[in-house]
Amino acid sequence: MKRRSLLKTAAALAILASTGVASLPAHAQDKKYTVALIPGLTTDAFYITMRKGAQAAADALGVELVFQGGPEFNPVVQVPVLDAIIARKPDAILIAPTDTTQLVEPLRKAQDAGIPVITVDTFIGEGKYQTGSGDADFPLSYIASDNVMGGRMAARALAKAIGEEGKVYVSNVKPGISTTDQREEGFKAAMAEEFPKITVLDTQFNENDANKAASQLQAVYARNSDLKGVFGANLFSALGAGNGVQQAGQTGNIKVIAFDAPTSIVANIKDGLVDAAIAQHPAEIGYYGVVSAFAHLSGQSIPVSIGTGFTIIDKSNVDDPNVAKYVYSD
Amino acid sequence: MSVSSPPTVADAPTPHVKPQADHSDTAKTVVQRIADLRAWLFLLALILGFEIWARTAFSGTFILNPFNLQSIAIFAVAPLLLAIGQTYVIISGGIDLSMGFIMGLAAVVAAHVINGLTPGIGMPAAVMAGFVAAVLVASVPGIINGLLVSRLRVPPFIGTLGMFGVARGVAFLLAGGTTVPISNSFFAYLGNGRFLNVPIIVWITAAFVLIMHYVLSQTRFGQHNYAIGANVQAARRAGIDIKRHLLRLYILSACCAGLAGVLYSARFNAGAAQAGEPLLLDCVAAVVIGGASLFGGSGTILGTVAGAFVIAVIQYGLVFVNVEPFWQFISVGVVIIISVLIDQAQRRFSGGRVDE
Repeated sequence: MKRRSLLKTAAALAILASTGVASLPAHAQDKKYTVALIPGLTTDAFYITMRKGAQAAADALGVELVFQGGPEFNPVVQVPVLDAIIARKPDAILIAPTDTTQLVEPLRKAQDAGIPVITVDTFIGEGKYQTGSGDADFPLSYIASDNVMGGRMAARALAKAIGEEGKVYVSNVKPGISTTDQREEGFKAAMAEEFPKITVLDTQFNENDANKAASQLQAVYARNSDLKGVFGANLFSALGAGNGVQQAGQTGNIKVIAFDAPTSIVANIKDGLVDAAIAQHPAEIGYYGVVSAFAHLSGQSIPVSIGTGFTIIDKSNVDDPNVAKYVYSD
Repeated sequence: MSVSSPPTVADAPTPHVKPQADHSDTAKTVVQRIADLRAWLFLLALILGFEIWARTAFSGTFILNPFNLQSIAIFAVAPLLLAIGQTYVIISGGIDLSMGFIMGLAAVVAAHVINGLTPGIGMPAAVMAGFVAAVLVASVPGIINGLLVSRLRVPPFIGTLGMFGVARGVAFLLAGGTTVPISNSFFAYLGNGRFLNVPIIVWITAAFVLIMHYVLSQTRFGQHNYAIGANVQAARRAGIDIKRHLLRLYILSACCAGLAGVLYSARFNAGAAQAGEPLLLDCVAAVVIGGASLFGGSGTILGTVAGAFVIAVIQYGLVFVNVEPFWQFISVGVVIIISVLIDQAQRRFSGGRVDE
């Protein structure tokens, strides 16, 4: 099993577990806190799994969890939801901001109203909080997977699968999304630093359309018959690229590494459509989001950033229950 | 639908359908014939352009490579199926914005029904049942669209926009917010297998295109559609039952979206609620590039086929010749604008009404 976690995570979690959680439920009886979780979008297995983790923590701590968001990953859709939540005056807000700059002022309204803000999955400003510099350092904590690291892990998995040489490319959604941009950045950095015999071709953007991602794979392959692998930076990028490989009759010859692990990825790995998936731990993000908010509300200090880990899922471990728990489920 | 009854003299009073000044198809000028074929000429020019590019830049071939042809055909299937339904609606002077999410709804329904029935009744039977169930469920938002537009006189843009949201919500609820994997190897074969070295989904789409072309060009239903789009008052005076026609029309477009959803889920082995979301604008673009007027009254299925392939060839070709990805957005936008300009110029040239 190739499971890895960031040391930082383990340390942060250990501190939380020992100082905060154990002694806190006593306070919970004094006042039932309400914590709002606003995801990047409501219709995504990643955030649905995050909600499950948050709910588990909320149940354990006697916190009321409110889950509200928009159907699209878009500030225009998210800000009205945020405003409505601020109007309800929850005790804390956990949010996956849909834009690094456009969400700064809307979130400051929450801060001004005395509602502490913690960002999960995505961030505002530079993602460095409580530094006293810049105008987007007011959130208390940033809890997320290190997407650059995830991209690096994808690069290593793909390099290993193709024998560390040949041509590969990144199938990505569209530019300007902090998480998918970081995955691509990490992937390219690791390829450049660690695998000199691998050539990374131009990134193809599919606008979250599996049909387009499949067609792009076929076009890239038509032009580069020595194409060896592709990194699908999100679900539809990987699903489309995998289908493109199948349509091109190259299953097994062109390796596909996927990012994220919704339930359908299990079938894709077993069918050989996808060779390996880099699973984030969204339930962990939700869990520690609620725990951090609760710790803060109870007068404890909390870390300014918590990095959650990744699990690589492939054919060898997909049936292992210790790995299967990282598959996102509703 | 009155598929079975091709128009005859007895079927009059069908009013004249084209907004152009001429009053019969045979009186078309050469200029108009060329203008009608513009989408195909455009497609030809594009293919030639990419061919020359491939030969000069890296001494390869674009169109003579069967792999490219197959890839482009598969790529065009989903947007084309939506565009076929959209062509009918746009010719009638309406628009159906809900098609993308009706497609997603059908994909999710197909996934659930096939997964649920496969252990009980076997693979091929479950696929048939899933197919029928998906198209039936897809027709429900179509019926509501049709009733809104025909009985309650809601503008199509608004009514179908509302259904866009409803279909999306229902699809995501059914899917539980995630993609639904399908385990049925017969269905996967349908989506990815080949017959005579042509993908099965391309055969299905080609057959569907021919049927829909026949219905639009040769039947009374098709004639009524042009008549309503050209002049709804004249059509009503001529005795066409507008309400009944519009109801059938929106059911038809929803069923096209349903078929697209089933083929999508067969191909990707999964039902995804957001499957059709990115395709909606592409399908409207394909209809417009194919020569239909958004003001109604003109357009053909064959034009739309060319329009869908223009978009597919541009997007595939630019990756093939390795152009910076952002040019794809720009080029499709430019093609749409040029198509509309040609349409306007043609109307002015032929002395027809220019829609202001």
